[in-house]
Amino acid sequence: MWKRTARGRELHFYLAGINNQNFLMRDRETGSWWQQVTGRAISGRLAGSTLESMPNDELTFALWKSEEPHGLVLAPVAGHGDKDYDKKWEQEVAKYPVPLSFPQQGLKDRDVILGVEMGGQARAFPLDRVRGPNPVEDKIAGVPVVFVTGPDGASVRVFRSQWNRLDIDLYRDPQLDRESEVKSLDWHLLDSEGNTWNFAGCATSGPAIGQCLEKINSLKDYWFDWKNYHPRTTVYSH
Amino acid sequence: MDKSEKLGLPVLLALLTIFSLLLFLIPAFVIRPFTHQSENGLRLAIAVKRIAPALTMVTLLGVLILSSRLWRSASRWLRTGIVTALTLSVASAAMVRQNYFEWMFHPIASAGFVSANDSHLGDQEMVMAVRIGQEARAYPILQMAYHHILNDTVAEVPIVVTY
Repeated sequence: MWKRTARGRELHFYLAGINNQNFLMRDRETGSWWQQVTGRAISGRLAGSTLESMPNDELTFALWKSEEPHGLVLAPVAGHGDKDYDKKWEQEVAKYPVPLSFPQQGLKDRDVILGVEMGGQARAFPLDRVRGPNPVEDKIAGVPVVFVTGPDGASVRVFRSQWNRLDIDLYRDPQLDRESEVKSLDWHLLDSEGNTWNFAGCATSGPAIGQCLEKINSLKDYWFDWKNYHPRTTVYSH
Repeated sequence: MDKSEKLGLPVLLALLTIFSLLLFLIPAFVIRPFTHQSENGLRLAIAVKRIAPALTMVTLLGVLILSSRLWRSASRWLRTGIVTALTLSVASAAMVRQNYFEWMFHPIASAGFVSANDSHLGDQEMVMAVRIGQEARAYPILQMAYHHILNDTVAEVPIVVTY
């Protein structure tokens, strides 16, 4: 997701092609060609420009709705039904051959990763290794980060695990584990400083109450595509 | 028409037609799904795509002039050739003006939105979510995986949602 302005000009994009299974778009204003995954113009008058990334989340609808009850949802476009909005689309794509292969790092080409860039470093976090009931911690370029899976067991957010310039450890509340059914509303994490945190990354009790952790943008991508655009990426391993 | 013209003009006609076809086919061949695009291949394809709309018109004009010169004295075989050359040149000039990626994945001409409560989306469906200022929007991946691109404006910020 990008801000669609470059060199002070508002742009409108349309689908224009494909490059190693990542799509190319063009803007109506200048006809320049842009790579979707990098937000960079690769050809045309705006070549070399990069769009500013727009921080966003990938959440289940139920979780998003609980956080944003007054939000708006893109409606299905008239004339497009189940045939186009194919629920099995991702599974089907997974069967397609890949145009590039980087087998050396222990990942399969179509493994889904969350890519994070910080301080000039890129790291790929295999989704199935960071998604789970317990927060997953790591350090990128010296910055402590934590991957948190929401109460729906599907949505993942990344935060800088620092509060008050202190590195904090986030962990699951053992109390919640004992309850047979965890209600979304009760869901929270604990930290080493006596705070509780909700899935928005904000403290709901403790000395940090009312404050929020810095959110880190991550990109969900196939491993081969991430590696193609981040040749020096490392892979999370713990 | 002298003898050299009699042989030369049909050859020129054929070459122009092939050239026109290549203006469509080279990018179509390079930028096809599920194959590897090399950097040079992609550069060539984009360069051809940029000049193709103008060049196919020039080529078509050339084909028209040659055809009209040749037609009167042309044999039945040559006339079949002329008609073929004209058809292919017109087709090529038309195709380079088409965006067949948008035939496959129709763009969202005007996006409609519903409130979170009115949406029929399943609870477990994934959405791309954004909040700017006081405005929050969710873009179901089910839809974005098909349309791929949505130009939107949230809290007066122009954004492009891509998936």
